[in-house]
Amino acid sequence: MAEVKPFGARVRARMLLRSFAVQGSWNYQTLIGTGLAFVLAPALREVYKGDDEALRRALGRHTELFNSHPYLAAVAAGAVARLEADGAPPEMVARFKAAVRGSLGTLGDRLVWLMWRPMSVLLGVSLVLAGAAWWVGALAFLVVFNALHLWMRAWGLGIGLRDGLRIGATLKEVPFARIGDRAAQAGALLAGFAAALAAVRPGTRPWEWGVALAAAALGIGLGPRVRVAAAVAMGLALVAGLVLANT
Amino acid sequence: MILSAAQTVAVTLIGGVVALDGTSVGQFMVSRPFVAAALGGLAVGRPAEGIAAGVVLEALHLAVLPVGAARYPEGGPPAVAAGAVYAANVPPVAQAATLLLAVLVALALEVAGGRSVALLRQWNVRFAGAPEGGISPGRLAGRQLAPVAADFARGALLTLAGVLALGWLLRAIDVSGFPELAVGTILRVSMVAGLASALRLFGRAHYRLFLAGAAAGVVVAWLR
Repeated sequence: MAEVKPFGARVRARMLLRSFAVQGSWNYQTLIGTGLAFVLAPALREVYKGDDEALRRALGRHTELFNSHPYLAAVAAGAVARLEADGAPPEMVARFKAAVRGSLGTLGDRLVWLMWRPMSVLLGVSLVLAGAAWWVGALAFLVVFNALHLWMRAWGLGIGLRDGLRIGATLKEVPFARIGDRAAQAGALLAGFAAALAAVRPGTRPWEWGVALAAAALGIGLGPRVRVAAAVAMGLALVAGLVLANT
Repeated sequence: MILSAAQTVAVTLIGGVVALDGTSVGQFMVSRPFVAAALGGLAVGRPAEGIAAGVVLEALHLAVLPVGAARYPEGGPPAVAAGAVYAANVPPVAQAATLLLAVLVALALEVAGGRSVALLRQWNVRFAGAPEGGISPGRLAGRQLAPVAADFARGALLTLAGVLALGWLLRAIDVSGFPELAVGTILRVSMVAGLASALRLFGRAHYRLFLAGAAAGVVVAWLR
């Protein structure tokens, strides 16, 4: 096992804080490459203390192409900082970054964007539709969503700094797939709950039940294309309303 | 003007912050439409009305996934504008028609917002990479933070455009003659379809849970 050279709490805190802006300079050439270097800067300052030339070169190297889910970028930043602290050759660090960027992106996209966030959103929306105060729904969503978000950033940086090259094995031990499956189950339940609350109101007429059922079936069938269909329907309603209002 | 000058400034600034939260800084998800619209409503003193617009927008934004370099509509700043203007202008009659207009303007702005994000990302290429001899920490921070400032300005301008456009439309179009029941039904149907479309994200295999949730929702709605 490689010698552990932990960075101090101040450096870790600065890296964590900077990780919140890792996507600040997102661009179509290096994606979040500049952002990763920005997160690494506090650690690299310590590694290359007293050698400004080496620090500049190291920062320059890390502005190259990189991508990852933003919350898991902290894992990569931690691991790269550890490799730099251990004196790993630049070629090895570059290969490591190329190897992890795909998997960190896929893992985060699937867990966070596809499962956790919609589930959390549906929780908040359900509460609002059920009659809770606006702030209860908004706060419930923000607390549930950010519990995972903040944990991923802080934990990710920690395991990256601790495990360096071996983060792959550590990531495999975490039951991300199971968390995602549970979120998907809760999300499906909440989607039905919220859709019913949106459809039913006091005095709902029989034909409105039928329309709501058809809308739900259409929504499931259309998936993401439901936006366009809804926009068209609402646009037509606007035009019809204008015509009716003027006749 | 539907919003006062102070309210317009506050809403514009909130739009800038929400735009940053969408991608550049934080990603705490205050940029989700239903939260952003509530913040817009809060700026005019009526967050509950703001979130009413936000819930419709949220239902239609659920299936938007910000994956990789994909171009997608931007939900935050348009929701701030729609939430603020709708909340400030909820009339005693024709509420559904006013909401319809707010949602339609927000949906159009979401597309414009997505395109402006793509343009910003092209512009950000000038900050990509580093000179041959490397880069100092100070210059690197500058390259990282200049695009953040630009994103804030972009989001603020988009929100301001939304406030002005929606305010102008609400003055120009007399919605009091709109059939309230029909317009309200279309809004609710759109919301139901949007919320149900989330099942596609979680997997259609979970349809039994979806149905169980729907049954619970009907009971809660009936008891309400």
